[in-house]
Amino acid sequence: MATVVRNTEGFLENAADWTEEVARIIAAEEQIELDEKHWESIEFLRFFYKEHEMSPPSNRLFVKAVKEALGEDKGNSIYLMQLFPGTPAKTACRIAGLPRPTNCL
Amino acid sequence: MHTLHIVSKSPGHPRFLECLSMVDTNDVVLLTGNGVVALADSSIEVPSPLYALEGDIQARALTPDSARCQVIGFDDMVALTIQSQRVISW
Amino acid sequence: MHTLIVIDRPPYGSWSGRESLDMAFSLAAFDQPVSLLFVGEGVLWLSQRQDASAIAQKSVERNLKAAAIFGIEALMADQSACQRFGLGDGTLIDGVETVTDLRVTMRRYDHVVFPG
Repeated sequence: MATVVRNTEGFLENAADWTEEVARIIAAEEQIELDEKHWESIEFLRFFYKEHEMSPPSNRLFVKAVKEALGEDKGNSIYLMQLFPGTPAKTACRIAGLPRPTNCL
Repeated sequence: MHTLHIVSKSPGHPRFLECLSMVDTNDVVLLTGNGVVALADSSIEVPSPLYALEGDIQARALTPDSARCQVIGFDDMVALTIQSQRVISW
Repeated sequence: MHTLIVIDRPPYGSWSGRESLDMAFSLAAFDQPVSLLFVGEGVLWLSQRQDASAIAQKSVERNLKAAAIFGIEALMADQSACQRFGLGDGTLIDGVETVTDLRVTMRRYDHVVFPG
């Protein structure tokens, strides 16, 4: 982690630096201990980024994308808010090693 | 009901001519931003009725012929928008 | 109120296209009906097999594939422009509806915007 460069908002400068260990460390900064539910969302986000070359641009679109891929039980803001408190799209993308969602302030 | 065309491009921009070709008989055209440059260009045949935003005219020191267009402010622009069935922002 | 965003500039050369996409995604995020229409050189957004990695940009083709997931209602393209740029079966991305009369198409929407 010592060599991993991050920007002022904590996002990775170099996507290739991401590892599961890096994800755990970033999550711990937010007092999040990653369990299998978190990993499911993280894997989904990384897949989404590979497919679309973009992070979901906002919370609402993060929810829509999760709903489309994983169903309504997980694609809702309460579920994602519980997993990734604060601004779920931003927190989840930071942990997943993706760029900052463009429309999340 | 008519369409309001809001044109913010000057006559040199391809979208300006495209807009003119889309204007129907009952439509209204409002020039904003660089669109007001059309008022200074004597080679341009402007449609009627034509409105133009005062601030953009003042900024460019234009003196439009009042027979060619009606100079309006933001309040009138809002009213024009509400009166129209649809708005096309070029 | 259904918004139609018209893209008439080619991809990659300027930021206005990205802004158009942002506008569309933002409307969709708040469940406002929105569709995209590609005309003129703008139809090049819809080419298959784009790879923008060498110019350090993201592929708009891949970005557009997220449009349906985010709730953008339709991707449309002007048929004559597609012909002009050789876009059709095998070269045009899937899920694009071609239209022949732009005047009629644009007048089906309450608000039409040419961003940028």
